[in-house]
Amino acid sequence: MNRILAQARIELIQITRDRMSLILILALPVILLIVIGSAINLKVSHLPIVIQDFDGSGTSREFADAFRASDSLYVVSWPTDRGPEDALLLNKARAALVIPSHFERDLLRRGGAPVQLLADGSDSNTAALVAGYVTSIVSAYNQSHGRAQDAAPVRAETRLWYNPGLDSKKYSGPGAYVLNLSLFAPLLASLAMAKESETKTILQVYVSNISAHQFLLGKVLAFTVVSLAESLPMLVTLKVYFGMSFAGDPTPFIVGTVLYAFCIAAFGVMAGAAIPVRALATQVVSIGGFLLTFLLSGLVFPVDNIPWQLRWISNFVWAKHYIAVVRDAFLQGGGWRSTWLEIVIIAVTGLVFYAIAWKTLRPMQVSA
Amino acid sequence: MLREFFNSRLLALMRKEFNQIRRDTRIVMSLIVPPALLLLVFGLVLNSKIENVRLGVIDQSGTSESRELVADLSVSRSFRLTRAFLSPGDLSDAVMDGRVQAGLIIPAEFGRDLEKGRQATVQFVLNAMDANTATVAKTYAQGVVSAYAKGVRGPGVHARFDEVAGAVARPGGVELQPSFLYNPGLFAAWFTVTGVVGLLCILNGTLVASSALVKEREAGTIEQLLMSPATTTEIIVAKIAPLFAALCVMVVILVVGIGRVVFGVPFNGSVFLVFAGAALCLLGGIGIGIFLATFTRSAYQTQLASFFINPPLAFLSGAVTPVEAMPAWLRPVTQINPIYHFGVIARGSMLKGSGLETLWPNFLALALIALALLTLSIMRFRKQLA
Repeated sequence: MNRILAQARIELIQITRDRMSLILILALPVILLIVIGSAINLKVSHLPIVIQDFDGSGTSREFADAFRASDSLYVVSWPTDRGPEDALLLNKARAALVIPSHFERDLLRRGGAPVQLLADGSDSNTAALVAGYVTSIVSAYNQSHGRAQDAAPVRAETRLWYNPGLDSKKYSGPGAYVLNLSLFAPLLASLAMAKESETKTILQVYVSNISAHQFLLGKVLAFTVVSLAESLPMLVTLKVYFGMSFAGDPTPFIVGTVLYAFCIAAFGVMAGAAIPVRALATQVVSIGGFLLTFLLSGLVFPVDNIPWQLRWISNFVWAKHYIAVVRDAFLQGGGWRSTWLEIVIIAVTGLVFYAIAWKTLRPMQVSA
Repeated sequence: MLREFFNSRLLALMRKEFNQIRRDTRIVMSLIVPPALLLLVFGLVLNSKIENVRLGVIDQSGTSESRELVADLSVSRSFRLTRAFLSPGDLSDAVMDGRVQAGLIIPAEFGRDLEKGRQATVQFVLNAMDANTATVAKTYAQGVVSAYAKGVRGPGVHARFDEVAGAVARPGGVELQPSFLYNPGLFAAWFTVTGVVGLLCILNGTLVASSALVKEREAGTIEQLLMSPATTTEIIVAKIAPLFAALCVMVVILVVGIGRVVFGVPFNGSVFLVFAGAALCLLGGIGIGIFLATFTRSAYQTQLASFFINPPLAFLSGAVTPVEAMPAWLRPVTQINPIYHFGVIARGSMLKGSGLETLWPNFLALALIALALLTLSIMRFRKQLA
């Protein structure tokens, strides 16, 4: 036990002496958390729309005013003698609404008038959002003017759980936190481990009487502490900048975070032990920590949308399970009942990483 | 003049670098294969289209009308009926642990209300943690319900809801006729692929340029080159030119091979505009790479240093998420981001068919950024070696 602690202490002293490491652990994750957490949203509101009113009547102006009052869209002025498509080509607007002439007459006489919506489909998700916003404004207009027949016979009452304000920062903030955590601590762990092989100091370890377990546990312990130290300033940022707080029992989150810190530390140590070249080890960790987390953990894009041939991989991505724990703690508040399995998976994954690291070192150990 | 160029030192140096690369096919493969795979995976995985939202149902009414509403919801591709629940408690548990993402509760008096001509209410519960999915799913559900309501009133017509467009037309009031230009099928990959090509240009340009220079320095061979009569600028240009050529091949494979063939992204405009934009983007990436190489002594340090530049560039670019989703104070930063300008050029030229007359501001910005990055980094590199 003393040897493990001594090994961990060496590691921690080395890290605190290196300015680059300290920046990588404490400052960069917080900056990236703010940048990534606020940038990677898909839900957009306050989108520009062009309204071309060829009718120019009182009714058409009133109809257009319904869009001006909306929070999710804002109306950009566009001359009627220029084609509405030009506004989309020049990226001045995401959609164009064309009110034809005779709009008022058709509405009053025929009881129905068509308007055309042209949406810029080059960003497909935003196009779907724009169409949704316009649809709800139009149907609200119809209802308030008693034009949608009488009252609709069936009404859907929608309840939005866990995030009633539809604030996307509350979704991407925890995701960005997990992304940063999964990247930097394992990066340093793999560097420290690969450095021992690259500079041949590992030979000194072999000839000393420290066992592979003691050596590895010391390293893993040190980087578990590093991960936890990294997570603290980020959690403060989540609280202050993203306005998150615990929705329920925080103990699953605390246990999950400690186990996740162990898991990613073991991943970094394993990568460094298996790949004795620093440049290569960093590449492997950045692919594992960054790409897998970004692509396959449901960070921004729903996991359900991944084609099934690739989707199963996401179950083995450790960050996916931790994201579930974090989102549950901050948004749903489901507690142990809904997250125990994820926490068990995190712990098992960490043990697997540790076992692989031990296996790569063991044969090299000179038996005493 | 021309003969002078062909006999110049620069050309001789370039020929040396070209030969070096040609002999090592592994480098060329490593330049082309990983980005192609990445683009493929990004295009397949980063899909924002909301489909098959898992739906749980409590049908307390149990009438043919209520079953019809459930059927209407589940025949649309937007929702997939996962299972039925008996009590609201079970449903809320399932929403919480993610077994279902949405729940529909049809009250016991639903059928009776409809029969008597009263307004019937159903409750629709959504897990709104993911605000984007929730917003779109809410629109879908309301579309299905209002289409169903129309069917109840009319002669029992089943309205299906495949796209947002389906449910909007309402007789009697203002009828909305939406159409989606440039991407009528709303394929998410068309957006992702066009943006990610720029991202890969910057990432690979940075990686290739910095590792080429750092390797030369680690091996100590850069001193030998400096002893030769060639100037520092000549050495750098000769070193970068063949890599730039290989990266251009990568871009063609990405755009034509992956974009056009695999994902079917249309070429509505000039494909040369896309290549020109990508070339400028590559030069910008190479500039960043040389810049990083001036700060670091070894390959792994370069990689660590790149974490300070590449993630912010990637996420503040509008490559995979819309620029408008960023907070207003971050949005101006995109103007100095080459990936952003390439995204506008690629989407404008490939999807919208715009020409140079609308895209010139982006080309101008891209050229200025590339020029600034290259001069700055080459100046720094020269000063360091002098």
